[in-house]
Amino acid sequence: MANIAAQRIKREFKEVIKSEEVAKCAIKLELIDDNYSELKGEIAGPPDTPYEGGNFVLEIKVPETYPFNPPKVKFLTKIWHPNISSVTGAICLDILKDQWAAAMTLRTVLLSLQALMAAAEPDDPQDAVVAKQYKENPEMFNSTARHWTNVYAGGPNKNPDFDQKIQRLTDMGVMSHDARVALSTYNWELERATEAIFT
Amino acid sequence: MTDYFEEFNITPLAQGETPNHMLHLARLLRDFGMSPYEFNDELPPPASKAFVDNLEEITSHEPESSCPICLKQFSAGEIAKKLDCKHIFHSTCILPWLEKTSTCPLCRHEFKTDNADYEAYKTHKKREKEREGEIENLHNSMFS
Ligand SMILES: [Zn+2]
Ligand SMILES: [Zn+2]
Repeated sequence: MANIAAQRIKREFKEVIKSEEVAKCAIKLELIDDNYSELKGEIAGPPDTPYEGGNFVLEIKVPETYPFNPPKVKFLTKIWHPNISSVTGAICLDILKDQWAAAMTLRTVLLSLQALMAAAEPDDPQDAVVAKQYKENPEMFNSTARHWTNVYAGGPNKNPDFDQKIQRLTDMGVMSHDARVALSTYNWELERATEAIFT
Repeated sequence: MTDYFEEFNITPLAQGETPNHMLHLARLLRDFGMSPYEFNDELPPPASKAFVDNLEEITSHEPESSCPICLKQFSAGEIAKKLDCKHIFHSTCILPWLEKTSTCPLCRHEFKTDNADYEAYKTHKKREKEREGEIENLHNSMFS
């Protein structure tokens, strides 16, 4: 990997380790390989959001041309959010695209993602299904996002009603994640979700 | 009050010159938001060559200040480039960035480019903004 990119990541790594966000456990950064081209990020779900109490893992790939081009970042932890694909974890965030600037760092990226989790931008969605629910049925969105946080990110809030509906579908041989996606998509209406899965 | 030609960033036809219909079509498309070159979703084009060649060089640095691109501290007497927005970088760090896009990597201040289409687009955007401001002022003076 190009020298400037590796040197930059080394310096940033030190900066993040010392930062107060790490001290408060809000963000975390780990090296995956020795040449500083792949890292694992972690962000705590922001307080007063459906993601609170959850821990979200990110894949960070540093291009050879870093910091002149942005790092490639996606969620490895499954998440229900208008700007993050519930299927692939791909993120729609301007600073990871055309608003990137060479003076930005992995720390600013992690903090921006945390801010995005606290304030979604449904008019610039990555996941159209989630964005639609977010706009049309905010309460349903909140419970669904909280449920995903509980199941995939270790969040504390169980939803017995949702768990029971998923159970009904898994009893019919459906994989629990597929059941969760179908139910989330159809506002937890068991009949419509069942119909969608079996047609 | 700017005149018609100035406002639309165009020049009147010279004697014997015929209108460039393709150009008119392009302007029409642009004005209706159907620009064939849509700059909304990409970085601005590279900084103008003349601008880059004439960047101010400095050798004295604030104590403990560092280059925002490589994050290394400047050493005493090290030559660095200063942008119009007063931000300072190693030339080996800022030049590749300005070859990519015409903004300051720190504050996003925009510099001149050599791309005529983009400069026209910028003028158009600026004029649009001014117009919005004028309408807002008018509205405020009428309803306050
Ligand atoms: Zn530098
Ligand atoms: Zn600047």
